[in-house]
Amino acid sequence: MSEALVIEAADLRKEFDGVAALRGLTFQVPAGRICGFLGKNGAGKTTCIKVLLGMARPTSGQARVFGLPASDQTSSVEIRRRTGFVSEEKDLYDFMTVDEMIRFTRDFFPRWRNDLADRYLKSFELPRDRKVKALSRGMRTKLALLLALSRGAELLILDEPTSGLDPAASEEVLQALIGHVATEQMTVFFSSHQIAEVEQIADSVVIIDTGRAIVSGELDVLREQFRRIELVFDGEAPDVAFQAPGVQRVQRKGRVMTIVCSMGSDSVLDETRPLAPVSVQVAPVTLKEIFLGTIHKED
Amino acid sequence: MLWYKSWLETRWRFLIGFALLMLSAMGCVFGYPRVIQLLPAASSIDAGGEIGRRIKEAVQLAGTYRGYVWSQWFGQELLQMWTLFAALVGSGSVFSRVSGDAAPFTLSLPASRNRVLGIRAATGFAELFVLAFVPSLIIPLCSPVIGQSYSFGDALVYSTCLFVAGSAFYCLALLLSTVFNDLWRPLMITCGVALVLALGEQALRSASGGGIFRVMSAQTYFQTGSLPWAGLVVSLALSSAMLYGADANIARRDF
Repeated sequence: MSEALVIEAADLRKEFDGVAALRGLTFQVPAGRICGFLGKNGAGKTTCIKVLLGMARPTSGQARVFGLPASDQTSSVEIRRRTGFVSEEKDLYDFMTVDEMIRFTRDFFPRWRNDLADRYLKSFELPRDRKVKALSRGMRTKLALLLALSRGAELLILDEPTSGLDPAASEEVLQALIGHVATEQMTVFFSSHQIAEVEQIADSVVIIDTGRAIVSGELDVLREQFRRIELVFDGEAPDVAFQAPGVQRVQRKGRVMTIVCSMGSDSVLDETRPLAPVSVQVAPVTLKEIFLGTIHKED
Repeated sequence: MLWYKSWLETRWRFLIGFALLMLSAMGCVFGYPRVIQLLPAASSIDAGGEIGRRIKEAVQLAGTYRGYVWSQWFGQELLQMWTLFAALVGSGSVFSRVSGDAAPFTLSLPASRNRVLGIRAATGFAELFVLAFVPSLIIPLCSPVIGQSYSFGDALVYSTCLFVAGSAFYCLALLLSTVFNDLWRPLMITCGVALVLALGEQALRSASGGGIFRVMSAQTYFQTGSLPWAGLVVSLALSSAMLYGADANIARRDF
């Protein structure tokens, strides 16, 4: 039986004044997953999130959340009713106090969880009476997270949740997120360019570059499929164009050739045999290598 | 809660306007005895040209309390200050970062853009209604203190004309606020338009009836007792068109 999809993007394109931000982005996020949305700055992550939440309309293609079309105004309201969101800027209303922000947000969400709001108020040590404009960046992020987590949402969309935070604050936010997801049934879709962060909490990943998804899938499966092959030659490593499927990146440095491939190593190894390397080493790769391997290929 | 947010966003502009207009209304009433004292001296000023004509006109109007209140309050102070505050209250995009507003946060709420705009517009209308009517009603209330009387009916008629016709400036500021993301451009453009229209009316003062400021000050009502119906209808139509434009613009925009 196929998994229920919470997010579906199909050939999503978005142009801003003739500049393409999304160029046929296609990916899916099944229910219950923690999906990391990885990409360089300007890859199209925030634009994609805006399209999913109805803040921007796609030029073409379709985005569906909970099976509802994100570009339809009425559906978009329903999507947002079921979604918690933290923006990259963590902009909240400066003129409100922490308590006012909570009361304001609570009124929009019928499934608002007062118990969670109280719990996070305490654990994040947020001062109820302080104006948002007087909060530090870290505090502001925690408040934004509290407002997203307490909505009783089925989907949490986070745009660079830890950007601008020091390592300690980042860790605190991530731990809160992990703790929340462990107890509440929900799907999380979070963008980041912090690979370690994604590796820490995600179970699936979508890597986007120049507005296209170039890698998408469960992290464990990707780790199984991706391999780094290191070949050492007697002399200079030969300049070869590999025909085997899934070759993502080939690097030559003196006698050493490093190949990152995404569809197992067997067919690539078959192709390297006639080159007569003196040493062959096949190793699993980290998410960072997958990311760099696929992103660089696109450059 | 969107009402509460809209109120918090605009409250200082409204409260400052309210305080200034209240003080100005009381100043207008309590300044009248001094004006009466100065009238003989002002009548003897012999200046020619436009200035002389204006002095003569002001002296003539100040001859009666009704004329004084209309020319000083409904025709000048309220007219100018209310227009300025209409532009101020209308400026500042619904989804901008003005005064700490957070567009992505607002847009992530389960409320349609049109609803957010509608509530913002209604809050502004309510504030401008108070700014148009409450300080004006101070005049008939305070007039007996200086031994004068002023009709509540007249105050209501002038305030209504000001509110209905002047709302066009508010709607213009609101429309511009759906185009620009800052507070200053909608404010400056609206004030600029108001200034050009005011100067145009001054230059064409011989032309009868026309001009938004003449409709706002209900000049025809003061002079002949008839309401500027055509001007009011045109202003209402303009305001509606601009509100519709703002609504359409906010619905189609990307953020």
